[in-house]
Amino acid sequence: MRQKKSKRLPSGMVLGGGRQPMLPAPKRMNRILIVSDEEFLRDLMRFSLADLPVEIRCAAGADEMRRCCRRGLFDLVIVLHAAPFLCGGDPVRELRPAGLRRPVFYVVTWQQSEHTVLSLLECGVDQYLTFPLSLRRLRAKVAAEIARRS
Amino acid sequence: MTATLPMLWIATLIAGSLLLAGGLAAERLRQRRRGRDAVLRAKYLHILTVALLSERRTPPRFPLLDRPGARAILVETLVETIRATYGPDDELVRRIVAEYGLDRWLLQRIRRSGGYRRARYLAQLAHLPVAPEIAFRVAGHISSRNRYVRFYALLARITADPAEALHAIASYPTPFTATETAEILSVLRRGMLPIAYVPLLESPVENLRRLGVAIVRQFGIEEAEMQLLRIVDTDPSPELAFEALDTLRAMQLPLCRREIAGRIARLDPSLRKTLLRRMAAGGYAPHVLQRLFGAHERPYYEALVQSYKCTLACR
Repeated sequence: MRQKKSKRLPSGMVLGGGRQPMLPAPKRMNRILIVSDEEFLRDLMRFSLADLPVEIRCAAGADEMRRCCRRGLFDLVIVLHAAPFLCGGDPVRELRPAGLRRPVFYVVTWQQSEHTVLSLLECGVDQYLTFPLSLRRLRAKVAAEIARRS
Repeated sequence: MTATLPMLWIATLIAGSLLLAGGLAAERLRQRRRGRDAVLRAKYLHILTVALLSERRTPPRFPLLDRPGARAILVETLVETIRATYGPDDELVRRIVAEYGLDRWLLQRIRRSGGYRRARYLAQLAHLPVAPEIAFRVAGHISSRNRYVRFYALLARITADPAEALHAIASYPTPFTATETAEILSVLRRGMLPIAYVPLLESPVENLRRLGVAIVRQFGIEEAEMQLLRIVDTDPSPELAFEALDTLRAMQLPLCRREIAGRIARLDPSLRKTLLRRMAAGGYAPHVLQRLFGAHERPYYEALVQSYKCTLACR
C-alpha cells in the first residue's frame, strides 16, 4: 500500500498524510452576548468592548438570546433590560448548562429599586449594574471576568 | 360619448398608476435615507466611544457632517451617550459641541420650530455641556404656553448655569410632576446640581420641597425624618404630603405617629388605597395598618398582607 506523501512546512509542522506531531489545541476565543431591544445601547456596549480579545454577538430580545445560547456556549451574557428575568421565566437556570458556571450573566438596567435588584440576584444573575454606567468600569469588569475564565 | 368614456377610464388608470409609482418611489427613498442614517449613527457612535475611552483631548473628526440630517444624528448620538453613561470626559464632549457648533445649531432649531419639536431640541440642549450664557438664550421659553417647552427650557437653563439652579426652580410657575422631578434628579445624579436637602425641605416654595423629598428618597437619607414628618403634618399640598409619607414608607421608618395618622385620615381615598397597598407590599405588620386605616379597609389590607406573605413564603 502506497503511503500518502506528506508536505513538510518550514516551521516543522506537517500537513497531510503520516502521523502529525501533537500540537497545542487552538485557544478558544471568549464569547460575549449583548442582549437589548435598543439598537443604540447594543452598539454602545459593542463598541466599548471592541478592543478586548473577545467575539461579540448581539441579540435583540429574550427569544433571540435563548436561540443564540442554545446554538453555542457564551462566556458572558450582558442583558440591558430586566424584562426577561421578571416575566415569570428563569433564563439563567435555563441557559446555563448543569454543572457549568458559564455563561456569567450581567444585567444593566435603569431600575434601582431594592426589590428588583434582590429579585434578579435571586434569579442567579451574577452582576447587577444600573444606568448611567461608566464604560471604562464596565470594560475593566468584563476584562477581569474574561481573564479569570481563561 | 362612447369614445370619451374609455378615454376617461384610461386617463384615470394612468393617473392612479403614476400616483402609486410616486408613492412607492418616495417610500423607497425614505427607506434608503433611514438606512443611511442608521449607518451614519453607528459610525458616529463608534468614533465617539473610541474617543471617550482613549485618553485623547482633541475632538475626533466626524465625517459627512455637511449631509442633511447628519448634525441632528450627531446631537442625538451625543445626548444618548451622555444619558446612558457617566464619567465620560466632560471636557472632550464640551470641545466636540464647541468645535462643531452644536449649541448654536440647536439654538437655531429651537428658535425656528415650535411645540413638541421645540421641547425636544430644548431637552437635547439640556443634556449637552454648554456655556453658561446659553441659560439666558433659553430663559424666554420658560414662560411658554406648552408645558413641555416650559419644563425643558428650565432644565436647559439649570444645566447650563447650575449656580442659578435653585433660583430658577423657585421662580418656575407650575408644580413639578413626578416625571419632571425624576428628570431633574437625573441631572442631579450627574453631579450638576447641589444635594443640600435641608434647605430644600424647609423652603417655602413647593417645587423645592418636592425636589428635597425626591432627593431624600433617592439617596435614602434617614436623618431627614423630622423634616418629612413636618411636611406630612403641615404641608398645604396633599400630593406633596403623600410623597413625604411614601418616602417614609420606602425607607421602612416607623409610621405609628399621631401626625401620620391625622394626615392619612385627611387623604384622598385613592391615595389612601395606594399607600395601603405599598405598605402591605413593604412588609408593615397588620397591627400598624390597623392603627392607621379604618375598619372598613380592614378586609382589603388583610387580603393584601396574606397574598404578599404567601408570595414570600411559597417562593
